[in-house]
Amino acid sequence: MRTLLVSIFGLFGILLTGVGMNQAVSADIFPYDYEVRTLDNGLKYFVIPMESPGLVSYFSVVRTGSRDEYEPGHSGFAHLFEHMMFRGTKNFPGEVYDRMVTQIGADGNAYTTDDYTLYYMTFSASDLEKVVHLESDRFQNLEYSEAEFQTETGAVYGEYRKGRTNPWSVLYEEIYDMAYDEHTYQHTTIGFEEDIKAMPTMYDYSLSFFNRYYKPENVVLMVVGDVSPEQVSPLVKTYYGEWESGYEKPKIKDEPPQQEPRSTEVDYSGRTLPIIDIAYKGPAFPENVKEMAAISLFGEMAFGENSTLYKQLVLQEQKVQFVAPSFDNNRDPGLLHIFSMVKDEEDVEYVREQILATVNTYRETFVDESELTELKSRQKYQFLLDLDTPSNVAHNLARFVALTGGVQIVNEYYSALERVTPRDILEVVNTYFVETNRNELVLKGAQQ
Amino acid sequence: MPDKQTVLLPAENDPTISFRLWFKVGSQNDPVGKEGLANLTSMMLAEGATESRSYDEIVEALYPLAASYHANTHVEQSIFYGRVHSDKLDKYYDLYLDALLNPAFVKEDLDRLKSRVLNYLKNTLRYSSDEELGKAALYNFVYNGTPYGHIPEGTVSSIESITVEDVRDFYEKYYTKDNVVIGIGGGFNQSLVLKLQNDLGQLPDGKSNVIATPSPDEITGKELILVEKDANATAISIGFPIDILRGSREWYALALANSWFGEHRNSSSHLYQVIREARGLNYGDYSYIERYPNGGSRSKPPQNVSLRQQMFEIWIRPVPNENGHFALRAAIRELEQLVENGLTEEQFQLTQEFFSKYVLHYAPTTMARLGYALDDEFYGISGSHLENLRTIIPELTREEVNQAIRQHLQYKNMKIAMVVPDAEQLKDALINEEQSPIEYSTPKDESVYEEDEKIQSYPLDISADDVTITKVEEMFE
Repeated sequence: MRTLLVSIFGLFGILLTGVGMNQAVSADIFPYDYEVRTLDNGLKYFVIPMESPGLVSYFSVVRTGSRDEYEPGHSGFAHLFEHMMFRGTKNFPGEVYDRMVTQIGADGNAYTTDDYTLYYMTFSASDLEKVVHLESDRFQNLEYSEAEFQTETGAVYGEYRKGRTNPWSVLYEEIYDMAYDEHTYQHTTIGFEEDIKAMPTMYDYSLSFFNRYYKPENVVLMVVGDVSPEQVSPLVKTYYGEWESGYEKPKIKDEPPQQEPRSTEVDYSGRTLPIIDIAYKGPAFPENVKEMAAISLFGEMAFGENSTLYKQLVLQEQKVQFVAPSFDNNRDPGLLHIFSMVKDEEDVEYVREQILATVNTYRETFVDESELTELKSRQKYQFLLDLDTPSNVAHNLARFVALTGGVQIVNEYYSALERVTPRDILEVVNTYFVETNRNELVLKGAQQ
Repeated sequence: MPDKQTVLLPAENDPTISFRLWFKVGSQNDPVGKEGLANLTSMMLAEGATESRSYDEIVEALYPLAASYHANTHVEQSIFYGRVHSDKLDKYYDLYLDALLNPAFVKEDLDRLKSRVLNYLKNTLRYSSDEELGKAALYNFVYNGTPYGHIPEGTVSSIESITVEDVRDFYEKYYTKDNVVIGIGGGFNQSLVLKLQNDLGQLPDGKSNVIATPSPDEITGKELILVEKDANATAISIGFPIDILRGSREWYALALANSWFGEHRNSSSHLYQVIREARGLNYGDYSYIERYPNGGSRSKPPQNVSLRQQMFEIWIRPVPNENGHFALRAAIRELEQLVENGLTEEQFQLTQEFFSKYVLHYAPTTMARLGYALDDEFYGISGSHLENLRTIIPELTREEVNQAIRQHLQYKNMKIAMVVPDAEQLKDALINEEQSPIEYSTPKDESVYEEDEKIQSYPLDISADDVTITKVEEMFE
C-alpha cells in the first residue's frame, strides 16, 4: 500500500499547483481544498477553487429524485419538474429568463436521477453574480401557467417515447417494477407511462411538489473553478438568505426484505440481441460505505473487462457482446446489476449459468490480494483522472453530495476502499449476492 | 523524424499526458465492397492482439494503469488516442506504441469486432435509435455515389466479407509514416516528443492516394427517402451540401447564424423554440454547418470528424407520427424565413453575445484542445479555430451574417430522410400537399394557433418521383 500512497501524494503535488494545500498531511483522496458553509435556512454550499482560467461551474443539487415520488399515480414528477425549472419566474418571465441565460452563454443543463436532480452551468467568471441571482430566483420564485405546464408534459411524453425505442429503457422499467413492491424505486425516473399521460391534469400537484421539496434544507450548491469563498459567500447570503425553509420529508415506504428470487422475460417489440440483467438488492449508502466500496471492487473483479468471466465469454468463446457490472450507490437499497448481451438466443441459459457460477465462486473463495491492490489503484487513479475540469469535478461529486449532503464522504469512501480485504469481499457477496435477493430479467427482441 | 508533422500542447500543471495520432485515412478510403474496412482496421488496433501480447494480456497490462487507448474512424480521419497519468507513462507508452506498430490481426479478434459492428447495423441502428437511423439515411442519401456515400460502419454484406488479409493490407497501405500527424498534450517533456517521432519512424513509407473532394449530385427540389419501420414516432433529418469550410471569416458569420437557428442541445435554438418550446412536439430541434456525429450523446462539437465537403443539416428529434408532416413543414418554413429575412438586429446582438461566450466551453480538456489543433492542420488554418471563434465572432456585423445566410443557405433544394411507420400514406399526403392540422391536448397562445394555420398548408412542392420508400431491413444491407 505504501507505494500507492506515495504516488497519490505525488499527484496532489502536481494537481494542486496554485491551490492552497494542507493535504500532504492527510490521506484524503479529494485533491482540492474546499470551503463549506451553511445559511440559517439550512442551505449548504461548497466552494472549490481550482485552476480553470476564467471559468466557473455552478451546480445546484436537489436531494430529490424519482425516489421521492411516493404518491401513487404521480411517478415522473421530479423529472417533469426539472423541465419546469426552465420556464421562468415571477421576476423573470419565460422570455426574459431565456434572454438572460442566453446572454451569459453558459454551458448548462439539468438531469434527474432516482435519488437527486441536478442543475448545472459553466460560465465566464465575470458572470458569477448574474448566475447566482438567476439560479436563486428560480429556486425561490418559479412561476408557470397551466398552459405552459401542459405543453411541457408533451415534451416529457416525447422524451418517454424516444426512450421506448431503446431496449434499455424497457429493461429498466420492467426490472424495477418487478423487484420492488413497496419502495418508490419501483418506477424509473421518467415514470410509468399511464402517469405521464395523466400529467397534463396535475398542475396543482406540481406546485405542491415544488413547495415541499425545493427548499433550502434539501438543496446543496457547489461552486467550482476560478472563484474564491470570499467572492461566493456574500452573493449566496444576499440572494438565498430570504429563502424560507420548510422541507417536507417524503413518506417513502421501506421495501420489505425479498424472500425469494424473482425472474421475468420481456418481449421487446424492436430488434435487439437478447439482454440478461441479473440484479441483487444492495445496501443503502452512505450507511454502508465500506460495504459499497467492497461491492464495487467485487463487481470489477468478477465482471469487469479484466475478469476471468469477461475473457471467457467476450474474448474466447465470443458468446456475448459484453458483460458488465453496474453497481450504483443509492440512498436506499438499490439494485446492483450484472448485464450481458448475448449473441445467440440459444446461449442465454448458458451465459446466465456462467454469471451465477461466477457469483458462487466469489462466495466461496478469497480474491487474490495482489489483484485487489492493483484494482484499488486503478479505481483511485480513474477517479483522479476525471477531476480535470470544474464541471467534471462537480459531476463526479454530485451523487456523493446528493446522497450525503457533503463532500467528505468521497474521502471516507476511498479510504474505506483502501481498507477492503479479501474477507470483506467474500462477506458482501454472501450478504447481498444471494438467491433470495436476486432479480433476473431476460429481454428478447422481435424475431428477424 | 524531424519532418514529422507534430502538434504540441504543453500544460505543465496537468498531471496527465494525452496522445492523439491522426492518420489520414477514413471511410472514404474503403474499397468498393469492403465498406467499413477503415473503421474495422482502427478497431483492430485498439482492441486486438499484438505480435507479443494477446488482447486479454493487453487488457490485463493496462488495467492497473487506469489508462486505455482508443480508435475512432470517421469519413476522412482516423484517430488513435489515449491519456495516462504521468506516473504510469512508461508502461503505457510501450503498450500504446506496440498496439500501433505491431498489430497481430488475429482472426478471433476480427470475428469479435465484426460481430459488434453487425449488431450495431442490424439491431441498434435499424431498430433502437430512430434519430441516428434518420441521420445515417440522410448522409448516405446526400452523398450517394461518392466516397462519402456510406457510413463509416459500412454495410452488413461488406462487413461480412472482410477478412484478416483485408485488414492487414489496409493497415500497411494507410498506416504509414507519411500519413500521420502527431498530437501530444499535457505534462510531457521534450524527450517524449522525440521518442515518439522516432518510434513512428518504424511505420512503413507511403502516402495514400489522394481522394478527390466529393461533388455530390445536384439536388433539385425536395428529394425524400422514407425509411419504413414500425416506429412509434417520426424522426426527421434534412440537409444539403454547402461550399464553405471553417477558417474563413464568412464561415464564422454563417456559424453565428446557425447558432441562432439551431444551436445544438441548446434551448436558445430558434427551431427548438418553435417546435419543442411553443408546441411540445419533441425533445429537441437543431441545425449544423459541420458534421456532428452522435449528437444525442454529446453537448459540444466533436473533434477529428473533419470533412472537405460539409452540409447544412437540420435535426428534428422524433415527433408523434401524426405530426411528422407538420413538423417537416414547420422546420422548412422557418428556414425560408431565415433565408428571406436574415436576422433582426435584436436577434443578431443576442446571438453574438451568447455565441462568443458559449464557444469558451468547446474545449475544456487538453485532449479536446489537441483534437482542435489537429483539425486546424486538416483545414489549413493558420492560427487556431478556437482562437478565431473567440476573436472573430465578437467582431462580426449583422450585415456579414445576413450576407453569409444569403450566400450559403436556401430552402428550395434539399434532401430529407424520415423514419416513419406508414410511408405510403405519408408520401400521398406530401405529394398532394394535404393539410396537416395539429391538435393540442392543452391550450396554446393565440399566436401559436395563427402560426399553425400557415404551417399546416405550407407548400413543400414534392413530386412523387422524388420520394423513395425503403424498408428498414434493406438499409445498410
